[in-house]
Amino acid sequence: MAVVAGVDVGSLCTKTVILDGNGKILSYDIMRSGHYYKGAAEESIENALKSAGLKKGDISYTLGTGYGRGAVAEADAEVTEITCHARGAARLFPEVHTVIDIGGQDSKVIGIGDNGRVTNFVMNDKCAAGTGRFLEVMALALSVDIGEMGDLFFASKEKVDVSSMCTVFAESEVISLFARGHKKADIAAGIAHAIARRIMGMVGQVGLREKVVMSGGVAKNAGVVRAIEERIETSLLVPHEPQIVGAFGAAIIASERMSATIG
Amino acid sequence: MDAKYKVNRLQTTNEIRPLVDKHWADLRTAKERGELVAWASGPSFIFAYAMGMKCHFMAGYAAYCGGIGAGEEVLKVAEMAGDLPETCSYHRLHMGMGEAVARGIPINPQAILPMPDLMVAGRLCPEMSHYAEGLHRRFGVRVLPIDLPAVVDMEDMPRIREFVYRQFKEVVIPTFEEVCGKPFDYDRMSEILSVLKKVATLRNQCWEFFKDKPSRWTLWDYGVSIAPVFYLMGNPAGVAYYEKLLKELQERREKGIPAIAPDGEKYRLYWDGWLPWAFLGKFMRKFIPHGAVVLCGRYPWEFFPHPELIDPEHPVETWADLYYGMESHLVYTFSPKGTVDLIGKLIDDYSLDGLIMFSSKTCRVMNLAQPEVIDVLDKKYGIPGVIVEGDMIDSAMISDAQIETRLQALYEMIDSRRR
Repeated sequence: MAVVAGVDVGSLCTKTVILDGNGKILSYDIMRSGHYYKGAAEESIENALKSAGLKKGDISYTLGTGYGRGAVAEADAEVTEITCHARGAARLFPEVHTVIDIGGQDSKVIGIGDNGRVTNFVMNDKCAAGTGRFLEVMALALSVDIGEMGDLFFASKEKVDVSSMCTVFAESEVISLFARGHKKADIAAGIAHAIARRIMGMVGQVGLREKVVMSGGVAKNAGVVRAIEERIETSLLVPHEPQIVGAFGAAIIASERMSATIG
Repeated sequence: MDAKYKVNRLQTTNEIRPLVDKHWADLRTAKERGELVAWASGPSFIFAYAMGMKCHFMAGYAAYCGGIGAGEEVLKVAEMAGDLPETCSYHRLHMGMGEAVARGIPINPQAILPMPDLMVAGRLCPEMSHYAEGLHRRFGVRVLPIDLPAVVDMEDMPRIREFVYRQFKEVVIPTFEEVCGKPFDYDRMSEILSVLKKVATLRNQCWEFFKDKPSRWTLWDYGVSIAPVFYLMGNPAGVAYYEKLLKELQERREKGIPAIAPDGEKYRLYWDGWLPWAFLGKFMRKFIPHGAVVLCGRYPWEFFPHPELIDPEHPVETWADLYYGMESHLVYTFSPKGTVDLIGKLIDDYSLDGLIMFSSKTCRVMNLAQPEVIDVLDKKYGIPGVIVEGDMIDSAMISDAQIETRLQALYEMIDSRRR
């Protein structure tokens, strides 16, 4: 069985997953995409190969996904991140019926049928509200590291509403909340709830079916995860490394296509 | 992605441009010839045509501006004048053109129309009221508002039809008589309807070729051929155009020529909402390389789908019936229930694989309940759908990567269900 790669070139981060012939993850890589997607894809593949102790020629099939999927020079084919996230989540959690993915510049909710295939989905539009980029801007406004945002949620004592979902307006709102004497933790919690409110609307459009998996970089923010759980009144399954679910799904599809070619 | 697909372009569609250009040129120069001009939204331009007025229709102007690449610059003028970008882009387009003329801002001269002697505001939506109000307040245009309610339930149809018919008889016709200073020309309206009946009958025969597998033409071909059943209504050249188109499609069938080379489509799709007039080429480039062909849609199917019901002997009655008759029930398709009924029929008739719900960010009426419509139809027919956000003419509302991802995801969903 052949070694394959899935490469997810997102707006903020590029992720690569390498699978062995049995579908086991040999290595993965996550790096910032920067402004040159082609170079980011090449570098991420190289990093993953190095971690796995492999060289370029060892990869039999590469599948690109994500916004920059067209920039993966090594790719034998490309598939949308919708399908890849669904496939990745379904392999990790076979009982999944809904995936909430919040990435760098978009968020999506994907409905999955009993067979693990996409039934329907919604994506946010081109506004960055409620995405990873939104959280980055909010972290800057709060003068905290983005990694601290989740912990701050749990230190919150007082409810603060962040009503603006536009990234720019929300930043001004955060500054004015500071001016009114609100604490960082309370504002951070307000931001998480604002994201959850937006996701709730998208979940409503797709139709909530348990189990629900959350993927994407924002799933690393435990505060946002908790806020969404409270809003949809169900627990979220979060993979150990939620950021590579799309690349993992791409690698699974690559593996299937490779098998079909050989088979 | 299989990149072998290529469009087989129809020859006949090249002949629509001169007809369309002549219509707009005649309209532009109407005042120079001392002719009266009307503008219209909703199904009212036929009354102007019957009175010999030059007339343009709201969506028709948007399609034309999209075709000549003038939409962006005209919209910019509207924004300079204070129109919010979130408002209906058809409304903004007209305000922008009016403001450009009033303020002496240079725009594509082909996009400039004379201000009307009468604007008939057939109000199918709040934006159409906004449009009429803007014309009156900002440019002093005389406006005749009429109400054209959406029909949510078929049992409401007869009384709403009567309400609309009475507006035509008691308000619209007397107003045109007053503006034109002559009695209403029922004979001319009958002639226009006779031509429309011929054109729409031929057009329906052309629609049959969408049922072929592979299809012989695409919805985009029909989109550019829509003027003869729309603002070129009553023009005998429309009959000749559709006769020629029908002949070309028949030849394609005989020779086995599909809409896209080499062997025809992989995905047969439905298009909901307005046509993206300024972006037809952009969308085509997202369909064809994947082997996708759009075959039918709600808006393009609005144009007199039942020509057999057109009765030129009773012009005003038949005009009301074409929109609000129990048999044709065109306005019923504006309701979610009506949309589901219509698309369900189209899925059966045209063997569709998937639905594209084009959601214009500035039009609420057309977008009503699109997610629910997808859900209901998926459950009933087992075919997937996606919502694609955009606009008919405003590129600020179009995100290329988002559209690409949604469409590609639709193709993948169709593939996955075929396995």
